[in-house]
Amino acid sequence: MESPADIIWKGYSLAERDWRWQRVRENAAEAGFDCVFVPLCVDGRNLHLSLEQSRGTRSDCRFLTQLENAAVILPTDGRTPIVISAPESGNDWVPDFRPVEDSWGESMAQGLIDAGMERARVGVSGMRRGLYTHGRAFHGVVNHGSYAEVLRRLPHAIFDNATEVIGYARYVKSAEQIECLRRGAAIAAAGIDKMIELARPGMDEGVLYSRVMQRMVSLGSEYYPMAFYSGLHGGGRLPRFEDPTEGRFLQPMYRIANEVDAVFGGLIAQEQQPIILGPIPDSWKPAIEAQRDLYYAALEQLRPGRSFGEFMDFVNGFGERRGLKSLLLMHGRGYGDDGPLFTPQNRGARNRDVRIENGNVFIVKPIVSSADGSFDTSWGGCVLVTETGGEPLVRRRPGMVSIT
Amino acid sequence: MPWTTPPGAGATVFIWSGYSLAERDRRWQAVRENGGKAGFDCILVPLGNGVDGRYMTQLRCSAMVLPTDGRGPITIADRRSNNAWVPEPWQTGREWAEPMGEALLDLGMERARIGVVGLKGGTVTHCSSIDGVVNHTALAQVMSKLPNAKFADATDIVGRVRYVKGEEEIDFVRRSTAVARAGLDELINLARPGVDAGVLYADVTARLLELRSEYYPLALTLDPLGTPKPKRFANPPIGRRLETNSLINSEVNAILGAQLTQVCQPILLGQIPDEWKPVIDLQQELYEAGLTLLKPGITFGALEEFVNTFGAKRKMKTVIQMHGCGYGDDGPLLPAKTNEDRLTDLRIEKGNAFIWKPMVTTDDERIQFTWGGPVIVTDQGCEALFTRPHGMVSIC
Repeated sequence: MESPADIIWKGYSLAERDWRWQRVRENAAEAGFDCVFVPLCVDGRNLHLSLEQSRGTRSDCRFLTQLENAAVILPTDGRTPIVISAPESGNDWVPDFRPVEDSWGESMAQGLIDAGMERARVGVSGMRRGLYTHGRAFHGVVNHGSYAEVLRRLPHAIFDNATEVIGYARYVKSAEQIECLRRGAAIAAAGIDKMIELARPGMDEGVLYSRVMQRMVSLGSEYYPMAFYSGLHGGGRLPRFEDPTEGRFLQPMYRIANEVDAVFGGLIAQEQQPIILGPIPDSWKPAIEAQRDLYYAALEQLRPGRSFGEFMDFVNGFGERRGLKSLLLMHGRGYGDDGPLFTPQNRGARNRDVRIENGNVFIVKPIVSSADGSFDTSWGGCVLVTETGGEPLVRRRPGMVSIT
Repeated sequence: MPWTTPPGAGATVFIWSGYSLAERDRRWQAVRENGGKAGFDCILVPLGNGVDGRYMTQLRCSAMVLPTDGRGPITIADRRSNNAWVPEPWQTGREWAEPMGEALLDLGMERARIGVVGLKGGTVTHCSSIDGVVNHTALAQVMSKLPNAKFADATDIVGRVRYVKGEEEIDFVRRSTAVARAGLDELINLARPGVDAGVLYADVTARLLELRSEYYPLALTLDPLGTPKPKRFANPPIGRRLETNSLINSEVNAILGAQLTQVCQPILLGQIPDEWKPVIDLQQELYEAGLTLLKPGITFGALEEFVNTFGAKRKMKTVIQMHGCGYGDDGPLLPAKTNEDRLTDLRIEKGNAFIWKPMVTTDDERIQFTWGGPVIVTDQGCEALFTRPHGMVSIC
């Protein structure tokens, strides 16, 4: 892969910006909003329910402006948005932003007033969890102090949740976004290759963690913490770490699980690869093989127009045919906390009616367990939905890697 | 009624939690005392204020209600997490408003005066978050469950405790500084004309991680000397190689024991021009003069006045630049963007830890030089932890 200095990527085009803005305007108009308002959101270091959620807190402003932190007022009537951000901000997409004055609350309120929204129906993105975005943030991501000030200063406006308005615009990826996710997936795969190269009994886990991160950043990924699990099988859930550990060394027959993420163009790609430091026990092989078959079968099923209800039933029923259990584990890829979300915690019943669309990108990593639940495995990676089914963004073979 | 782990909750995420129970009790007691003095019946660290939550619990994600009357707190945690500080927290998955509200009710706060930490930017914490850090929907739901309670900002109640470090924290400020310094050494070792800036970024980051720093973005500028507004990178630069005469200004950050520290050391890939030398010399004088002023009892008003007038006799501009070390967004943040008045009378105290990095510029601001790192305030004055020889590193 190219080294960062040799990557020719100048950022997203203005056409991409206009495409995003127009999608949001159209969704907002359909929902009867006079404007869409992305208010100041809590920073991810402070609102950190998970890695995904943390990265997702300010994802709507990144989607609309490519700024790390901004408030956006986008009228649905076609006018350009008012963007409020820190004084040192600004980029090609929003060269004429408004710097925050004394507080975000005052600046946002003034922006809404200047846009003529005193008596408008204002759609607020990020108030609550959505189907397509902010799925892990049940209480949304909006900053209290500044939003309360906006409500106080615009008493005659009507503020409603509009998380889905931007969420649905984010749900379908453009060609530019897909290219960034493709590069991100390749970088994540390179991180996995580095882990396979280095993971041996006796290896300092903290050093292993650092080297994998080094590999991905040196290929141009933004830093996104790897989730790293290790330990002997049979001792309960493996502990999860999101920073380099101290005093932990890999041992023979350790299982390693991971979520290896790379971020390019602001979009998070993920690849996942279970590893064992020893031979794979025979009793695990049926589940590993079934997981591989399930993954490939799921790709066939990932077609535009299908509902997630159908897809979920297919995946969750797959294991039973082989005397095993299976469970859908997947979610969207994008700027962070992308949905729909299917995890053991959020089974996804609320997503049943959501339709799969051409241009969606998901991390697909279904779980297969032995009948008695003593062993489970999950392998997966980024998948683009096309007319002919799911297309992995990077080609890897499902299964468990055995390092002997 | 305690909340328990919901079915299917995600894997427990382990984070560093090595401070002693004595340190916990010191923090909790100091917060109780500050809260009591301010007339609060309890202190609420709500969803959204993760940094203060971590300070109070050593958990990655938590909320807490701490009564000021001496009772133990109710802590709400996620993903089955607990530790020696909070062995039996209430557990939640993704729902936070309900347990926060119930915790307040369980502790009898229906008509109480509740201090909410993080509602606004504080004097010495959450300094860059001028509108605070609290999650709106969750707090609004909590407030609706307690319509007769009064909620008021209590950012400084915890902030003033964080402002003065305990001995264990000071030890980690030292260790964290040593790691940041090692990251800087790596940067100096590797920075040469032709080097891929993205790879350099990755190598320095990896060095910090190998020494067990938690991640915090390395910040760099790389443009050639004399570039008016050099581009700042907080991610690996794409499409960039270092060049002869690249001026690397950096903020190399490390976090050990949750203590964020930073060192700033300019590096020039070339000879230092003569016109830069008076600026660098004056910055050294200013840096050292500041060290003599950074002692208990001095106000930030006096310090700022001293720094900002220091360069006039040499026809240069001198600007105070400093902030606190600690769990994140520690202050005071100078120069202040807002609420400057409340910093004027704020006093430096024993146990403070700051990043001290004043800036000197020529009158036309064409040449700017910043150098510095962590300092600890002691009884006797202050101790500089960044001990590299002062000056610009020149790599030819």
